[in-house]
Amino acid sequence: MNLPEIVQHTQAYYCLDCGICTGSCPVSRVTPDFSPRLMVEKTLMEQEENPLEDVNIWSCLSCGQCSSRCPSKIDYPEFVRMVREEAVRQGKGGVPAHRGLFQTIMRLQTLDVKQSKTAWAREVGRVAETGDTYYFVGCAPFFDVEFHDDWGVDAMDGPKGVLKLLNAVGIEPVVHDDERCCGHDLLWNGDRENFAKLAARNVALIKKLGARRVVFQCPEGYLTFKKYYPEVVSDMNLEIVHFYELLQDKLQAGALSFEPFEGVLTYHDPCRLARQAGIIDAPRALLQGLPGIALREMEHNRESALCCGTSAWMNCSSCSKAIQKERLTEALAVGAETLVTACPKCRLHLNCALRDMEIDLKIRDMNELLAQHLKV
Amino acid sequence: MLAYSEVTEFSGQVGDFKVKVRKRPRYVDQSRCTACGACAEKCPTKVPNEFNFGLDDRKAIYKDYAQGIPSVYTIDPENCRVLKGQKCGVCAKVCQAKAVDYDQKESFVDLNVAAVIVSTGYELFDATQIPEYGYGKLPNVISSLEMERLLSAGGPTKGHLSRPSTVRGEVRLKDLAKLIKKAEKSEDPTELEALQAEQKRVEHQVHKYHTAKKLGFIQCVGSRDFRFHKYCSSYCCMHSIKEAIIAKEHEPATESFVFYMDLRTVGKGFEEYKVRGAKVSGLQYVRGRIAEIAQDEDLNPVVRYEDTEQRKVTTMTLDMVILANACSASRGIVKVADLLGLDLDDNNFVRTHPNRPLDTNVPGIFTCGCAQGPLDIPESVAQASSAAARAAETVMTGGQALAV
Repeated sequence: MNLPEIVQHTQAYYCLDCGICTGSCPVSRVTPDFSPRLMVEKTLMEQEENPLEDVNIWSCLSCGQCSSRCPSKIDYPEFVRMVREEAVRQGKGGVPAHRGLFQTIMRLQTLDVKQSKTAWAREVGRVAETGDTYYFVGCAPFFDVEFHDDWGVDAMDGPKGVLKLLNAVGIEPVVHDDERCCGHDLLWNGDRENFAKLAARNVALIKKLGARRVVFQCPEGYLTFKKYYPEVVSDMNLEIVHFYELLQDKLQAGALSFEPFEGVLTYHDPCRLARQAGIIDAPRALLQGLPGIALREMEHNRESALCCGTSAWMNCSSCSKAIQKERLTEALAVGAETLVTACPKCRLHLNCALRDMEIDLKIRDMNELLAQHLKV
Repeated sequence: MLAYSEVTEFSGQVGDFKVKVRKRPRYVDQSRCTACGACAEKCPTKVPNEFNFGLDDRKAIYKDYAQGIPSVYTIDPENCRVLKGQKCGVCAKVCQAKAVDYDQKESFVDLNVAAVIVSTGYELFDATQIPEYGYGKLPNVISSLEMERLLSAGGPTKGHLSRPSTVRGEVRLKDLAKLIKKAEKSEDPTELEALQAEQKRVEHQVHKYHTAKKLGFIQCVGSRDFRFHKYCSSYCCMHSIKEAIIAKEHEPATESFVFYMDLRTVGKGFEEYKVRGAKVSGLQYVRGRIAEIAQDEDLNPVVRYEDTEQRKVTTMTLDMVILANACSASRGIVKVADLLGLDLDDNNFVRTHPNRPLDTNVPGIFTCGCAQGPLDIPESVAQASSAAARAAETVMTGGQALAV
């Protein structure tokens, strides 16, 4: 799609030039050169400067804070995503984080590679070979390779917690070694071609295993399957369920209960889960299910939550770090001893900033925390 | 005039409408009440005053507001002790006109009319729908109508521009003084310490910010916003400028900032008024819609925005923020429209004929004021005269004069 078509598609011409997007943007807070408003304006004005050359298009976190407040309801992240696709088509790109390791892993998975990444599941709980419910584990096993030794953060805490909790409510999900990356990051890197390949492989696999519904703990995987897969895969016919909604129903029905939690805890809303998928109350209800918990809200919470600073393994910078530090400072300001998040990436990114800060705050995976407090 | 009443049945056609009106019981005989106010003075039940947005109290027997007509007191059955089955009866005792009647029942009036005018007004946009503005959570973020009450000599602060946190803080300080006296006698020192700490904090807030002097006016709150109302509410730019000018007249040290996207000062003398606001009253117009409002430890609202002319994202700490809430269609209009057979437009305002702007889809029913769309006061008054003339034509010709 060329730029005028992108403007038409996203209705960016409705822009009122009011500045709410830029005033809301976590990147603009730190980097004055970055302005969603001016990026749209440049495209609309067809100035001589080519918007595709603008490095800023790769700095957007696609957190959606701008769109959620935009009085013209312009889907700004979608605008950026499409501009990136066009830029990639013209041979341009952003700066991959972690030396491009994750992009390489993602693109490898579009091929016929043999993977082994489900052994943990058989050690932790019960899984099935075929069946009704597929548990989409996502990228955590790959994160584990990159981060475990460096930071001592076990990215597998989350999936392990999910499996324990699923088993506790009587679900033995299917997991599979052939599962591919959901493609979220490639999609947001502007590589739609490889995203579509990953989507096709995943849907074919899940269907082959006889599953009818897919359960996610990863907010990115959930949103990608729900919102973007139907664009590239015809007749998906899969029920896309977020783990917390499923678990909240079981909690209300009395199918599970938790041991007490002592201490002050705050919940960090992942942008994909809260602002973009609207799952805001379910994780809070689950945390409130832990007797004695003191759940406090940070200054920016729910649909106004601050981003974790970087997205799609790209353009991680000092700006990312500043955003992350601001977020952790917000947690401290409300007296939190523990910050939990529902997104494996938020957890890693915030932990990255924590390494440079001498503060007394624990960052934990929500699923691991819930599983640990499960009443047997 | 049938106030405190509603239409319950409606039938017929132009020249011959049959209307049944339910008169709600006031528990006060309207023909006897002289509005002397002795009842309200003695009534022991305090209720937050809706007209002043809870910034002060009214009694369970009350008048909605001083200038309301008919000038007659009303008992609020949800709060009156007698009507809730408890012991009281003070108002009946002190009423020299013997107007209080706890046994009053609702009554119905049947009317036969030739024409009807629907002028049900509007409602203030509920700003809690924009969570990033913190309305309802941050005490010193208020609506335009709350500002009107604060500026009014008959308002909760007698026209002194106190911050809501100060008004409520003063009430809290009185309560705290009592609680501290009680806690001094008790054995528990931790409770006393907590109360004294709160007292110190509230005293600081009340005294340091007694008068709101640095004001921020936020335009287009719910208007020109696809999430809520796409339309422009038309009057907010002018009332914000007006409120800022009056605030300056009350307190010369006032500094006001109007955060706008476009200042739509369309109307006779309006543009000149805007210029006067800047030149005479020193208002500063800042182009940029506010992104979010936070609060510092002294309960000062902190606005974050992009100054689009400077291309700069910045914050400003203010004493008080006044939202220019949009003009929303009243919630009750859907029921009224259903009863009368009226068409509403996409925004729930009464749909009118393009060439006859006060005619509804039903011959003989006219509309005016904010029931048909956002309007300021002079235009509403002009429309009211016009609607009355249209209705008079209909009445005098038995419905013949409808077609133009």
